[in-house]
Amino acid sequence: MDPVRTVPLESDGRDIDTAVAVLSGEASGQLAETHAQLAGIPEAFRKNPPATYYGQPLLKQSVWSIDIPLYYFTGGAAGAAMVLGAAIQAGSCGARADCDLRRLSVTCHWMGIVGSTMGAAFLIHDLGRPARFLHMMRVFRPTSPMNMGAWILAGAAPTAIVTGLFINRPGVLGWIGEAAGYASGFWGAGLSCYTGVLVAGSAIPVWQEARRWMPVLFAASAATTAASILDLFYEGREARRITRVFGTVGRCIELAAGGRVEQSASRVRRVGRPFRRGATGVLWKAAGVLTAASLVLSLLPDRSRRTQRIAGVLGAAGSLAMRFAVHYITNASARDPRASFDLQRSA
Amino acid sequence: MEALLSAAQAHSLETRAARDDTRNTSARKGFFTDTTLCIGCKACEVACKQWNQLPDDGFRFTAMSYDNTVALGASTWRHVSFIERPLDLGGQEAGGFSWLFNSDVCKHCARAGCLESCPTGAIIRTEFDTVYVQPDVCNGCGYCVINCPFGVIDRRPDDGRAWKCTLCYDRLKENMEPACAKACPTDSIKFGDLEDLRRVARKRVAQLHDRGMTEAYLYGVDSANQPGTEGLNAFFLLADKPEVYNLPPDPVVPTKKVKDAWISFAFAAAGLAIAALGSVFAERSVR
Repeated sequence: MDPVRTVPLESDGRDIDTAVAVLSGEASGQLAETHAQLAGIPEAFRKNPPATYYGQPLLKQSVWSIDIPLYYFTGGAAGAAMVLGAAIQAGSCGARADCDLRRLSVTCHWMGIVGSTMGAAFLIHDLGRPARFLHMMRVFRPTSPMNMGAWILAGAAPTAIVTGLFINRPGVLGWIGEAAGYASGFWGAGLSCYTGVLVAGSAIPVWQEARRWMPVLFAASAATTAASILDLFYEGREARRITRVFGTVGRCIELAAGGRVEQSASRVRRVGRPFRRGATGVLWKAAGVLTAASLVLSLLPDRSRRTQRIAGVLGAAGSLAMRFAVHYITNASARDPRASFDLQRSA
Repeated sequence: MEALLSAAQAHSLETRAARDDTRNTSARKGFFTDTTLCIGCKACEVACKQWNQLPDDGFRFTAMSYDNTVALGASTWRHVSFIERPLDLGGQEAGGFSWLFNSDVCKHCARAGCLESCPTGAIIRTEFDTVYVQPDVCNGCGYCVINCPFGVIDRRPDDGRAWKCTLCYDRLKENMEPACAKACPTDSIKFGDLEDLRRVARKRVAQLHDRGMTEAYLYGVDSANQPGTEGLNAFFLLADKPEVYNLPPDPVVPTKKVKDAWISFAFAAAGLAIAALGSVFAERSVR
C-alpha cells in the first residue's frame, strides 16, 4: 500500500486522509455522517458483483429486417405447396388436364412460383449490398446453412417456373413440365425446412438449445400456411379433402413442435425467457393460440365455406406470427448476456 | 449443376491455397493481450481507428466507468473495457477497490463461426492464419453477425457490409506489427508468432502466480483450453471470470452443433413429403 496516502475505509464526505492532513478549516466542525466510501453502490452488488459487463449484450443482435420473417413465411408456403403439387401429380388421375385435382396441382406449383420469387425478392432486398446477390453462388459451402439455402432456392424457383409454364402442354414440353414438377417437389421440401437450420445454426443461445426441433417446426408451419392459403381460394370437394388432411397434420405438428422448441430452450431457465416474457412471449403465445383455434375450426363438423375461410385465415396468421416471434426472440436472446453465460456454465 | 461444380472447385482451390501458404511461407500470427498490464489508455483504440481510417461511432457518455466505446463493432475493432469494482485483487490491499482493464479484439478463432457461416466466401483464412473479410466480396447478408459466439463482427448500416479486425492484414504483408500492438505503451498487447506468444503467456501466468496473484489464467490459449473454438489466435490473460470481461465462459462455434439441425432437416423434409403423399392417397381411398 502507498505509505503516504492511506485510503480510509470510512469517510464523512471530506476525502481528507487524517494521517497526512489536519482537519482545521472553517467548516471542519460541521457535522457530517460517516458512511462507507462506496455508499453509492447497493449492498448486494458489493458482496456479489453481478457477473456481466454493465449488462451489455455478449452477442450481436441480428441485422435482418422484417424481410427475413416474411421470407420464412412466403418461402415456406411456396416449398410446402410445391411438395403437395408433386404429390398430387404422383397420386391422382394421371396427366388429364381436366381433372379437378390436376388443377389443384397446377395451382400448387403456381403458389410455388409466386412464393419463391417473392421470397427471393425479400432476401435480396435485405442484403446490405443487394447488387451482389449472385455472390451467394460463388462458393459451395456445406458449413453455411445460408449458402445451402441459396442453392436450394436456386433449385426450387426455376423448377417451379418450368413446371408452371409447361405442365399441361402437349408433347415433349408437357413431359418436361411433368418432370420439373417432381423436381420442384424435391427442392420445395428443402426450401420449407432449411430455414429452420438457418436459425438453429446460429450462435443465439435459445436456438442452439432448440436446434433439433426448429426444422420440424418450420416444415409443419409451411404445411399449415400452404393448406390455409389453398383453403382461402380453392373450392372443390376432392381438393378440400386433400388440403384438410395436409393442413390438419401441419397444424398438429406445428403445435407439438412449438411446444418442444420452447421446452428444449427452457432446459436452462434463463435461456427460455423470451418465450415467457415481454412482447416476444406474447407474440409466441399468440401464434400458438391462432394455430390451435384454426385447428379446432378446421375439425368442426360444420364444413361451410365461411368456416373453412376463417380457419384458413387463422392458420396463416398463426404461422406468420410464429415466424415473427422467431425473428424477435432471436434479438431478445442476443440482448441477454446471462442467457449465453448460464447456458455455457450449465454444460 | 455446372455452376455448382465450378463454385465447389473455386472454393476448394481457395482453401487449399490458403492452407499451403500457411504451411510453407508464413507462421501463424496472433495477439496475446495481457490484461494485467493494461492501463486503460485506449491508445490501441485510437491507433486502430487512425491506421484503418475507421469512422467514429458517435460521441456519447455511457456512465459505464470510463468506457464510452461500449463494444466491438463494424467500426470499432479494439475496445477497452473498464471493470470498476469494490473488490481487492489477489496480492493487493487497496481498500476494497480495483480496476480491471481489457483491450478486447476479434479472436481470429481456429474454428471461426463467421468464416464457416459466410455464404459468399467473403471471409477467408489468410496466409497468417488470421480471419479476414474481403470487402469487395461481402454482400452484407448479415449471417456472420449472429454466428460469432463473441459478438464481434457487425454490419455497418450505411455501408451495408460486415466488418471486423483484420489483424492489420495490410501491415502484416509489409512485415509490420499491427497498429494496436505498436501503440500499446505497456506491451499489454503483444503481437507475434502464435507459438512464441503461447510460451510467453504461460511464463507470465507462472510469474503472476508466484507473486500471489493466483487468479490469473489464460483464456483461449489453445485447443485444449477452449475446445469449442479450437483455440484463439488472439488470446487473453484474465484475472477474473470471463463473464466479468463480457467474454463467454465456454464458447462453441455454431457450426459444431449444426449437424443435429441438418439431421432433423432430413426428417422434416421426408415428413413433409409423406404428409403430402398421405393426404393425396387418403383422398383417393375416400373416393
